[in-house]
Amino acid sequence: MKLSLADYSILALYFCFVIGIGWKLRKSVTSAGEFLTAGHHVPVWITSLAFLAANLGAQEVVGMMASGAKYGIMTAHFYWVGAAPAMIFAGVFMMPFYYGSKARSVPEYLKLRFDEKTRALNAITFAVMTIFSSGISMYALGRMFQLVLGWSFDASVILSAVIVLAYTWLGGLTSAIYNEVLQFFLIVLGFSPLSILVIARAGGWHGIQQRLAPSMTHAWKYMGSPAQNPMGIETFGMVAGLGFVLSFGYWCTDFLVIQRALAANSMSAARRTPLIAAFPKMMMPFIVILPGIAALALTKMGTGYSLPVKGNSYDYDQTLTTLMASFYPSGMLGVGLTALMASFMSGMAGNVTAFNTVFTFDIYQGYIRKNASDRHYLTVGRITTVAGIGLSIAAAYLAVRFNNLNDLLQLVFSFVNPPLFATFLLGMFWKRATGHGAFFGLLCGTFAAAFTQGLSTAEGKGGWITGLHDFPSQMAQNFWISIFAWITCFVVTILVSLATVPHSDDRLEGLVHGLSKLPRDLAPWYRRPVPLAIIVAVTLVVLNLAFR
Amino acid sequence: MFDLRLPSGIFFAIIGALLIFMGLTMTDLQAPMTTANVDLYAGLAMFVFGAVLLLLASRK
Repeated sequence: MKLSLADYSILALYFCFVIGIGWKLRKSVTSAGEFLTAGHHVPVWITSLAFLAANLGAQEVVGMMASGAKYGIMTAHFYWVGAAPAMIFAGVFMMPFYYGSKARSVPEYLKLRFDEKTRALNAITFAVMTIFSSGISMYALGRMFQLVLGWSFDASVILSAVIVLAYTWLGGLTSAIYNEVLQFFLIVLGFSPLSILVIARAGGWHGIQQRLAPSMTHAWKYMGSPAQNPMGIETFGMVAGLGFVLSFGYWCTDFLVIQRALAANSMSAARRTPLIAAFPKMMMPFIVILPGIAALALTKMGTGYSLPVKGNSYDYDQTLTTLMASFYPSGMLGVGLTALMASFMSGMAGNVTAFNTVFTFDIYQGYIRKNASDRHYLTVGRITTVAGIGLSIAAAYLAVRFNNLNDLLQLVFSFVNPPLFATFLLGMFWKRATGHGAFFGLLCGTFAAAFTQGLSTAEGKGGWITGLHDFPSQMAQNFWISIFAWITCFVVTILVSLATVPHSDDRLEGLVHGLSKLPRDLAPWYRRPVPLAIIVAVTLVVLNLAFR
Repeated sequence: MFDLRLPSGIFFAIIGALLIFMGLTMTDLQAPMTTANVDLYAGLAMFVFGAVLLLLASRK
């Protein structure tokens, strides 16, 4: 792929704007709270789009298009089953406790609700995982630009890191959030034309359906048994594993996204943030998944485009970049690549701003220096931002040296994340749940995940204890690991809680359902969370029926 | 706090204008798989989007 001067100018213009936004916001950063939590005054349309964009990294865009080509429309379940219902739950039921508790981070909520050790466990695992995921996506970006454009790996990694550092250093979380919105617009405007062009060339949805196996164009019809569909998963595993455990665990407890909602300027705005974000989220498959499916159809049509081949299968990860090279002329190609860069940066800035807050408030202020001045924590926040980016770069180079690092980390994440939602669910809705219960529940959940992985195999992986069961695909294995981890955490938390001393009611005020008073929402109906949630749910049902 | 619609609007108006210009003048620019004037139409869409953001920002 060759870029022209115009393409490079578009990329350069984008860099100027993101740094310019940081520069404009620099004066608003006067305290640690402003820098790390955006001081609770960001308008709701901005927090909503940032909520979505922080999750929309380059790996997601590239990966979803690859999955579209590989698995077909079932990939959309990652948006419809695997996001929207959890976003509804986060907005309607969980945000009142997060926002109402005045906690500055998710681990801090755990401290208020449970105890220090539960917070420490969550803060430390979150901080470590954030750095590694930021590093791995940096690595993926560097590799991709090296492969597609021939850019030097070092140059693309360092350049993108320096730009993200510049605007987060200047304007803190506000700057990261504002830029995420610009990045979101760019992703939509930069990739939608591609989607329209590719789908039109493949003869529209009808044309695609005629050229591909029916299991590629139906989201639900072939989910009766794992053997019928390319993902190797059945309805229960999909809905319980992805739709419940993994999805609720991410959208309702991951500080990376929750932080965006907490920056909103009122309780009502914080609750509406995930709900408003759910609309564009549900539409994303049309931009990032359908072109992948269309690419496979084009390959079968013999139109001149075909998916690149690696060994004896397709190299799905190159679907997006080869489509851009085939359908975008110079000019639009620059916009497309800038959009890719933007998606990478929004993901990275999301990680970095979540990391610096958790480190400063939950680790540094919690355990290293408790009662320093606000100025001191602002300085620590800034230094942590630099350190976070430095560590991400180090993680990216670690990934270069150890090829299996990515697989290993995915595995660790799949042990640590699934139990979390059980802890939060019990914490927010059952006042009897105790700190000991939460802590041991989380630990046992993680061990249960590791054991399930050790006792089962899929595509030749896992089974390090013994292979009791073979799953048809790694995805199915992953969903079932999550289900077992969640159940274990849920049960252990209840049992240990019942055996330990309960927290007193006045300590739990504002933190648990039944002991919190929600302020009456006097806004017109379309600006209230529940009616919005109903509209999201109806749209969701319509989409699933249309692509069933 | 400044209005985010302002810089976003300017950004997309500039890129839109650039693409429209390229689409109209450099007719030899063509992607291998399509005969459509991609730059022109995508540029128009971006220009309109940018203009709408600027309009909204100015009407406060």
